[in-house]
Amino acid sequence: MLIPHPLLGLRDAEEFTYLGDASLLDRPDPHAPDAAQQFYEYQHLRDNPAGIHRELWFHEQGDRSWLIVTRNTLTHEILGAELARDAKGAKA
Amino acid sequence: MTELKPICALGGAEPASRRIGALSLREDAGLGLASLALRAGAPAPALGLVLPGPGGWAEGAGLAAFWTGAGQWMLEFPGGAGRDLAAELAGPGLSVTEQTDGFTAFEIQGPAAELVALLEKLVNVDARRFGPGSATRTGFHHMSVFVIRRAPDRLAVLGMRSAAGTIWHALVEAAERQEVPA
Repeated sequence: MLIPHPLLGLRDAEEFTYLGDASLLDRPDPHAPDAAQQFYEYQHLRDNPAGIHRELWFHEQGDRSWLIVTRNTLTHEILGAELARDAKGAKA
Repeated sequence: MTELKPICALGGAEPASRRIGALSLREDAGLGLASLALRAGAPAPALGLVLPGPGGWAEGAGLAAFWTGAGQWMLEFPGGAGRDLAAELAGPGLSVTEQTDGFTAFEIQGPAAELVALLEKLVNVDARRFGPGSATRTGFHHMSVFVIRRAPDRLAVLGMRSAAGTIWHALVEAAERQEVPA
């Protein structure tokens, strides 16, 4: 399986380690009144979709960047990859 | 007094070298290395070369640099293994770490066609995208190495110094398998 790294081109998936759902980037506000409930949901309640899924991959044997890879969990087709720092920065 | 004798990463008093078919493999015990990271917003230091972008390697006078990550480079100083590079390079806005002792460098020279064929066996990197002036970190026999294409006929592999023997064995094995008996 090859992952289209935004900077380095197609790279062997073996160079990466997998973390999980990209929603982990959206850390709740610890000062919110319902912070405990929000962190419970953030930590433990994840969607497990059969289909398109955005997930975090770490280029461990490469440039050590975090990527958000969009993958179809049914076909393993990789639909795209972007740098997590760009995605996070665009949101901030 | 204890008499200490410096040895190369492969254990010899002199750097190892082998000629296998059209390829020559050489241990470079003299390469000085330092990693450089620019802190947020800091300008690039005046090194006499333009720090290369992702996947790039650039050569200046007496030094070279390759990209290792966003805002991060490895600087190479041929023959500079004995220098105090971290102290020489230190400056405002820079994070510099001495890397010489952590790595070992192997230089491979040979005709471009043979070199590309060897590269394709060594690492899973698209050789068409890996022309002269390219460098990348990648997996190699379950180790992480830096691979640098210094010139059409020159390739370098930098890996963990403690794994020098393993890397050398893997390079020699790949070159021997590729060798066409005369």
